[in-house]
Amino acid sequence: MAEKKLFIDALKKKFKEEPTEKQTRFYIYDGWKQSARKREFVEWAQKISKERGIPGYNPEMHLGGIPVGQRVLMPYKISGTDVYVEGDDLHYINNAAMQQMWDDIRRTVIVGLDAPHALLEKRLGKEVTPETINQYLEVVNHALPGGAVVQEHMVEIHPALVADSYVKVFTGNDELADQIDKKFLIDINKQFSPEQAEALKKAIGKSLYQVTRVPIIVGRAADGGTISRWSAMQISMAMIASYKLMAGEAAIAEFAYAAKHAEVIQMATLTPWRRARGPNEPGGLPFGYLADIVQTNRKYPDDPVKVALETLAAGSVIFDQLWFGIYMSGGVGFTQYATAVYTDDILDDFCYYIADYVKKKYGGFAKAPRTMDTVLDVATEATLYGLEQYERFPALMETHFGGSQRASVLAAASGVGTAIATGDAQAGVNGWYLSMILHKEHMGRLGFYGYDQQDQLGMTNSFSYRSDEGLPLELRGANYPNYAMNVGHSGEYAGIVAAAHAACRHAWCVNPIVKVAFADPSLKFDWTEPRKMFAKGALREFFPDGERDAVIPPH
Amino acid sequence: MSEIKVKAGKYKPAYPGETIVAENRRKYLDPGYELKKLRSISDEDVVRLLGHRVPGEAYKSVHPPLEELGEPACPIRELVEPTPGAKAGDRIRYIQFTDSVYFAPLAPYVRSWMAFWRYRGVDPGTLSGRAPLEMRERDLELVAKELLETEVFDPARVGVRGATVHGHSLRLDENGMMFDALRRYTFDKATGEVVYVKDQVGVPLETPVRVGKPLPEEELKKMTTIYRVDGVSTRDDPELLNWVKRIHLLRTLAGFKLEKAEKV
Repeated sequence: MAEKKLFIDALKKKFKEEPTEKQTRFYIYDGWKQSARKREFVEWAQKISKERGIPGYNPEMHLGGIPVGQRVLMPYKISGTDVYVEGDDLHYINNAAMQQMWDDIRRTVIVGLDAPHALLEKRLGKEVTPETINQYLEVVNHALPGGAVVQEHMVEIHPALVADSYVKVFTGNDELADQIDKKFLIDINKQFSPEQAEALKKAIGKSLYQVTRVPIIVGRAADGGTISRWSAMQISMAMIASYKLMAGEAAIAEFAYAAKHAEVIQMATLTPWRRARGPNEPGGLPFGYLADIVQTNRKYPDDPVKVALETLAAGSVIFDQLWFGIYMSGGVGFTQYATAVYTDDILDDFCYYIADYVKKKYGGFAKAPRTMDTVLDVATEATLYGLEQYERFPALMETHFGGSQRASVLAAASGVGTAIATGDAQAGVNGWYLSMILHKEHMGRLGFYGYDQQDQLGMTNSFSYRSDEGLPLELRGANYPNYAMNVGHSGEYAGIVAAAHAACRHAWCVNPIVKVAFADPSLKFDWTEPRKMFAKGALREFFPDGERDAVIPPH
Repeated sequence: MSEIKVKAGKYKPAYPGETIVAENRRKYLDPGYELKKLRSISDEDVVRLLGHRVPGEAYKSVHPPLEELGEPACPIRELVEPTPGAKAGDRIRYIQFTDSVYFAPLAPYVRSWMAFWRYRGVDPGTLSGRAPLEMRERDLELVAKELLETEVFDPARVGVRGATVHGHSLRLDENGMMFDALRRYTFDKATGEVVYVKDQVGVPLETPVRVGKPLPEEELKKMTTIYRVDGVSTRDDPELLNWVKRIHLLRTLAGFKLEKAEKV
């Protein structure tokens, strides 16, 4: 695989010179006008400025009259696809598929049905059968998007605004699953390979879980913290209506707790005050959850590198472009960092190279000894190989023109390689940190102040599990103390988690319930192929959920 | 200048490695090694390039002077002899360099290490595409002059850039020069020299500043502190590789199982 140099095609398309050529020309590209996208922006901005009377976007304002484009404004190939786009198309705000990806996570809450069913039967004397469950699912699919169920003369929500909202269920019990109306069922047997399905059903057991997709517009109007509240409110109303419950007796308090809160699984935990956000916001999303949400291992169970790369791409958009780039910072700078790991097949080349090395040296995936010797060997080889490519192909160095980009890409290849070799995410992240200090000594440079600081101390806690000292990588997130400060790490860490478990052919990484909740063909974002989705978004071929057309003038 | 330089003592920089790159790192870091002067740039031209004051203009130091102001009692003040700039109460100002990946003499980490080893009163910063150095203004001018006149500067592969530093990793232009979006310098084909027409933040200079001729790449390869596969590869320096791995092991095990670290 490595002999092919996966990135060559992209480099040839990006630059007119040979990728090995060390010299080029500058200042001859006509600035921003060389970019079709920038020309489109200018056209729109001029129209908008005229209409509103206030000037807006104007690239001539850049650097006091020196616009971007003094060098070639290169296009980007979305890795793993044949699609070339402009960098602008990959900003989160410009890409509807990226927005859909995060919306799909934020609007999801999983709520177990075992506790309310037990309470209905034992405390309230109601009968719960597959028929009543199907009836409840009809009602809750009316209620969750904004339909009233127990009160007269209520306002309701226009269904066209909340067409993305629904409830489905799944269980590890085939007999029960058979009796659930198929339109409400996430069918584990259908979505996963037999090997994966068996493992998942065993882990989930007889329990029944409902996956609630709260309307996207609710999350956008409030925040992720409201998602479980909305879900809880509409679930309890639907239960009251379905099972004809009295709406005020004391037992309803117990029931409400059982139905609304007892078995809730949020997608993300809340963050502390200095980065204050409610649950279901990106800062609280554990890497292992994201690795479970991404579904590439269903489609490519034999390709742990692909599983890692797709997870990593999704993580880079969510953690770097959205969390750090928009929530924590604002502006436009972070996209440039994040795209390095999912464009031009560069990280793909580095990862497949090291996967081949691991296969040859250790006889397959997850077969190497889980020792520091393996970490030192694999991470060193991945780092040196990658550095050599940057140096042999000046066009590659120019593509990743920021040191943090190169550092993230090389450390990601090292982490993924070590995780694939050992089947262990902790070993993987330890390999990441070795890569960073090797890179620093080799080039005499790495990223920037805070970026480098994180990577010069990270190895000290990469095997720390005790709660006041660390966590397994699977349960860490962008808010983990020394990960909370900068870009270019968190998505990659999620990729390392995915790599370790995919190498072991695990059906899931952390939580089988989360894995199944996103094996849902009703989602518009195809979680088996996040990079393809980003490409569709960049090409403006992705039609997202959550439109407001029904309540605004025709346009 | 002698009041700003660290005096060479019994401790020498102990950077590992058996290659010319490692040797260069040790050399530039060692305050006992005198940097080779390759070009002359006048004091006024250094001041012009920095752009913090006009040549001849007084320093914007604290007023009234520190002796009149009086300073609080502090044992550190008694222990440390202030640099001329600190004594005068100068502002802290900066020079910032961008070093090309293509065999520039220094790279950002080496710049920072070198500043700590060689000069007093420094506050270096370390990034991938730029390396700021902050000092008291009159001290800075002296150090900047040394950094520009000696072997650690190359007019084509090193840029003096206070802002918009983009270029360290880009391919070179037809004259072998590093890209600069602000076009602070030009290559004078007639003389073969590089001429700065803007100061470090891009303000046009009334009097251009000549910084000399770029060195041939073969020369730069002998002077560089950067490992590269087309120069000296890290793979050819096992001492360096093993040293980095040992640091990694020590940091990992000390944070996890201290007793294991003691055996590394």
